Amino acid sequence: MNGTEPRQQIACRARNLSVAYGGDPVLRAVDLEVPAGVVMGIVGPNGAGKSTLIKAMLGLVTPLTGHSEFFGLPFAKARKRVGYMPQSTTVDWDFPTTVLDVVTMGTYASLGWLRRPGAGQRDQAVQALEQVGMAQLAARQIGELSGGQRQRVFLARALVQAPELYFMDEPFQGIDAKSQQAIVQVLHRLRQTGRTVVIVHHDLATVADYCDQVTLLNRSVVASGPVARVFTRPNIRTAYEVASSEMEFLEFAP
Amino acid sequence: MSPLEFLADHTYRTVFIGVSIIGLVSGALGSFAYLRKQSLISDVISHAALPGTLLAFLAAATVWQGDGRNMLGLIIGAVLIGTLAVGYANQISRGSKIRIDTAMAIALTVFFGAGMLLMRIIANGPFPGKGGIQDYLFGNASVMTRADVVTSALVGGAALAIMLLFFKEFVLRTFDAHYATVLGYRAATVDTLLFTVIVIATVIGVKAVGLVLMVAFLITPPAAARQWTRSMPAMVALSAVIGAVGSCLGAYLSIAFVPVPTGPLIVLTLFAIFVLSLLAAPGRSVVLRAVKHARARRLLMRELDTVAVEGRAS
Repeated sequence: MNGTEPRQQIACRARNLSVAYGGDPVLRAVDLEVPAGVVMGIVGPNGAGKSTLIKAMLGLVTPLTGHSEFFGLPFAKARKRVGYMPQSTTVDWDFPTTVLDVVTMGTYASLGWLRRPGAGQRDQAVQALEQVGMAQLAARQIGELSGGQRQRVFLARALVQAPELYFMDEPFQGIDAKSQQAIVQVLHRLRQTGRTVVIVHHDLATVADYCDQVTLLNRSVVASGPVARVFTRPNIRTAYEVASSEMEFLEFAP
Repeated sequence: MSPLEFLADHTYRTVFIGVSIIGLVSGALGSFAYLRKQSLISDVISHAALPGTLLAFLAAATVWQGDGRNMLGLIIGAVLIGTLAVGYANQISRGSKIRIDTAMAIALTVFFGAGMLLMRIIANGPFPGKGGIQDYLFGNASVMTRADVVTSALVGGAALAIMLLFFKEFVLRTFDAHYATVLGYRAATVDTLLFTVIVIATVIGVKAVGLVLMVAFLITPPAAARQWTRSMPAMVALSAVIGAVGSCLGAYLSIAFVPVPTGPLIVLTLFAIFVLSLLAAPGRSVVLRAVKHARARRLLMRELDTVAVEGRAS
C-alpha cells in the first residue's frame, strides 16, 4: 500500500485547525503531529485553547477550518483506537451510579448500540480500576469520591477501552499526592508499552518528567517537538507572553 | 367508600387504572429529565401540547368529521407540537447565549399563547364535541374512557419499551454527554429518542391531569426516588412505583371521601411522598444530616475545650 509506511509513525495529526466560539478564533490554523509511542504535552496559558484543541480533534467542537486524522483515518473510523479522559469537573458527581458502572462505560465503544455490558465487560472494568489503585472502591457511589479519585475513575474508564492513543485533559488538575502518583505510574506504563498519550498539562515544572514531546500553544502553535529542543526559555516566554525580566518564571526550563 | 366498593365501580376502576399507567410511565421517564437538569422541560411539553391537541381536534373535526376528543389523535398532535417546542427551546440555547431556562420559558409561553388563541377560535366555531376541550387545561380524570386507558397503556408501554431498549445509551448521554459522542453515540440520535419518550410520558396525562399539573408527575417521583436509591435502574424503577402508587392513592382519596378533582389530589399525594423521602431517606435525609452535623459540632467543641483546659493546666 502506498504511503502507509510514514503514516504508521504518526498516531494523530491536526491540519490547519481553527476554532471560534462566536467571533474571535480560539485556535488559529493549528498544525500538530503526534508520533506514535510518545507522551505529547499540550502546554500553554489559560485560554490558550488547549482543551478546545482536543475537543476539536475528537469532533466535540466543529472546526472553522482544517481537519484531523488518527492513524491516517478520520476520527469516526478510528474511535475505538482512541481513548478520551475529559476533565472530571464536566459531569455531575451526584449522579446515582457506582465507580464500577462509570468505568464500564469505557467498554461501550466496542459494545455499540443496544448491546448490554456483561460479566466480561465488568471484569475489564475491575482490571482497569486495579491499574489506578481503586479496585477496592468499585462499589462506591461516585458522589463519595475525592477530586483525585474522580480523576482516577475517568482514567480507568479510558484504560478499559485499551486504546492505542489517549487524550487526557488536565489529569493532574486539583488532585492529592496519592492520586498524582497513581496517574504518573499509569502514564509510565503506557509509555513503556508503546501507547501514545496526548496530555493537556498546566504544570510547567513537571513537563520534562512526564512528556517526551511538547507543544507550546497560545491560540496557535508556538513550537512543537521533543522536549529538549522545544521546551526552551524563549519559546515558553513567547507562549506565556512574559517579559524576559521575569526570569524566575522560567527557572525550570533548560 | 371501601377500596373494594371503589374498585367494583366501572368508572372508578377506569380512572384508577388510567392514572396508575400515567403515574408509572411519567415517573420512570421523568428520571431522565430530572438528571439532565431539565425538570421544567415537561412543563414546556405539556403547555405546547395544548395547541397540539387542539390542532388535532380541528383536523379530526373538519377533515375526518370524527370525534375531536379521540385519545390517539390527541396524543399524536401533542407529541408532534411538544417535540417541536423541545427542539425549539434546545435550539435557542445551543445557537445563542440565552440559557436553557430562559429558552424553555420562551418556548412554553409562545406555544401556550398559540394554544389559548386556538381554544378561543374553537369555542367560537361550530365544531361538534367542543364541549370538553377546556378540560385540557386542568384535566378531568372522570371523562377517561376504556378506550382512552387502552391507548394510554399502549403508547406508554411503547415509551417504556424504548427506554428499556436504549437504557445504556440514555444513561451514558445523561451522565456524560461529550463522552457519549466520543464513543460514537450520535448526540442527535440519542436526544431525539430520549425527548420523544419524555414527550409521550407528558402528553398521555394531559387529558386526565391537565397540562398545568402534569409536570408534577414527571418531577416529583424522581426527586423522591433519588433520595432512596444509589443506581440508575433502582432510581427509575422506584420512581415508576412512586408515580403509580401515588396516583392510585390520590385517585382513591379524591373519589372515596370528598369528591374533589383527581389530578390535584394526586399531586398532593406525590408531594407527601416527596416530603417523607426528604425527611426520612437514609444517607440523604435533611433531618439526619442536621442531627449528624450538630453532634459532630458538639463533639469537636468539647474536644477543643479539653485541649484548651489541658493547655492552661500545663
